[in-house]
Amino acid sequence: MPPEILPGKLGPVTILRLGWRNLRRNRRRTWITATTVGLAVFFLQITWSMMVGIERQSYDNLINYQTANAKVYAAGYFEIRDELPLDRPLEDLDALQATVSSVDGVAATTPRLTFQAQLSDGTDQIPCLGIGVQVLGSDTEVFRIPQAVVDGQYLSLGEEGMLLGSGLAEMFGLGVGDWLTVLAKTKAGAYEAIDVPITGLIGTGNPLIDQGSFFIPLETARGMLGMEGEATELAVRFSQIASESATLARIHRAIAGLGGLDVKGWRDVEEDFLAFAQMKRAGSVVFLAIFVVLALVGVTNTILMAAYERTREIGMMMAMGTRGAGIRGLFLTEGALNGLLGGAVGSLAALAVIAYFATAGLDLQALYGDMDIGYPVKERMYFVLDFAAMGITWLLTGLLAAFASLYPAARASRQDPVRALRYV
Amino acid sequence: MTVTARLEEVKKIYRVGDLEVPAVRGVSLAIEAAAFLSIAGPSGSGKTTILNLLGALDTPTAGRIEIGGRSTEGMSSKDLADFRNTHLGFVFQTFNLIPVLTVRENVEFPLQLHGISDREERQTRVDTMLSEVGLAAMADRRPTELSGGQQQRVAIARALVKSPTLVLADEPTANLDSATASEIVDLMQSMNEKHGTTFIFSTHDPMVMERATRLVQLRDGLVESDERRNGGRDAS
Repeated sequence: MPPEILPGKLGPVTILRLGWRNLRRNRRRTWITATTVGLAVFFLQITWSMMVGIERQSYDNLINYQTANAKVYAAGYFEIRDELPLDRPLEDLDALQATVSSVDGVAATTPRLTFQAQLSDGTDQIPCLGIGVQVLGSDTEVFRIPQAVVDGQYLSLGEEGMLLGSGLAEMFGLGVGDWLTVLAKTKAGAYEAIDVPITGLIGTGNPLIDQGSFFIPLETARGMLGMEGEATELAVRFSQIASESATLARIHRAIAGLGGLDVKGWRDVEEDFLAFAQMKRAGSVVFLAIFVVLALVGVTNTILMAAYERTREIGMMMAMGTRGAGIRGLFLTEGALNGLLGGAVGSLAALAVIAYFATAGLDLQALYGDMDIGYPVKERMYFVLDFAAMGITWLLTGLLAAFASLYPAARASRQDPVRALRYV
Repeated sequence: MTVTARLEEVKKIYRVGDLEVPAVRGVSLAIEAAAFLSIAGPSGSGKTTILNLLGALDTPTAGRIEIGGRSTEGMSSKDLADFRNTHLGFVFQTFNLIPVLTVRENVEFPLQLHGISDREERQTRVDTMLSEVGLAAMADRRPTELSGGQQQRVAIARALVKSPTLVLADEPTANLDSATASEIVDLMQSMNEKHGTTFIFSTHDPMVMERATRLVQLRDGLVESDERRNGGRDAS
């Protein structure tokens, strides 16, 4: 006997047909419930797409402007990296770069020298992060700083100059062509100051860079800090198709032979931000889940009312030999279909909104002004159009709606047929 | 004479709070195959309770019930459902068709429950049955598009389509005018004669009682009289 039809049970086609027609029996109630579910699904889909979008953009931003895919440090540096120590530099950079560059999955490497500094225009003095970058070639192969230049030009080889975060420039009230004094403590512990002209302003959307960093040529930084031939980190860019964890593991193995080195992926470097993003996502999901649960209570209520109204019909079905499981199946299907209907409405409406913002983006400047939203995202936020995630959410809505119908379905299936048939 | 259903000293007592209400006080009946049996009696005499017990919708407090040679004693609710599915057909006073299904789908419904997976076989049986009850032309209508008499014809077709051992009808003509009621009894009688299906029905209507081949009168949960008759049928 085919599995779809067993004695005492209804085939799936019959159950679906009955479920769908019963939904149409009380259209107004069905649409009210579906609209509630649809609204919840709409906001859930939009929020999810927005969260994933802003997270992806943030990660790209961090990789492109701050962390690269990975960084190689001297042993012990990473643990105290917030102090920006200069006494644990990378030495023999050429050998290190050659070793890391030969690792499968690595696209480019570049040394950087990061240090604590004070910037002064003669009146104000602001503590900043100074970053010495290799002007010729490699830094632009690993990072995307040139694309973030909003005014002036990127650093030029052999010329003194500074790329200043646009927020910092605003704080000082300075622009391209103006001069700033860089004050820093050298590796030996002495104080050193140099005057540097601002050649360009950068706006990355990353507050750490825009409002707290400046870039100078690596040679200038080395000269100022007394660290000839040294760097504090070797930033690594992976190729597009490389597996992050596998490449990281390969680098780890490759540098093990050199000794006294440590490699960290961008996720390790930015673990605080990732924890923040995860917390924010969880918070949003919990908030929206409450909304969805409230909508599903509507499904419970609708199915409960339907089961009451059809008490005699249930009694008749039982009299004809429908088992309790068959009755349960009917109401669970009805609930699921109601959820799927609402989910489809909400998902389609969300699809239109998401498709628009995935292309046009959401103007963060217009929405938040200069307020820090906690994500390193520049100007526009782009939603992510993920059909699979949307489909799964829609199906999950049907499943949850069926779950919400469990109680009324179980209640209906446990009725005494004699009483049910007498019900008026 | 083949006995198709048997009640032996059946009692049914309902409990209402601390109060015990005896609905059936000890009824014994042997119902022969192809009977057209009417259970009559005043309200509260136990007609519906007897039908519910014979319909495996309820279980007796004491005594034994056998249908088609099988006792319903000790059956779980699932077994009772399967038993009803296999052996019994029901016709209700208020027709109780599924309003969202067409006439054809309503009649097909018990066949699906019966486990007949061959769609063609189901369709053939449904079409045959609808022709027999004179509703072939209305197969695609919804119950709400039918008169009371037509709905009851559908209910009869639905009860008979799976060829049950017994068809139980609780006041099948109570919601119909006398002309339609007469047509429905004619139909039940012709089905009884044609298919040899046993019909047991409760009624208050003397016209319906007159058509029965056996009339069981109940009073206060006991059999008051049990009379065999020809029910207005030809002696041949």
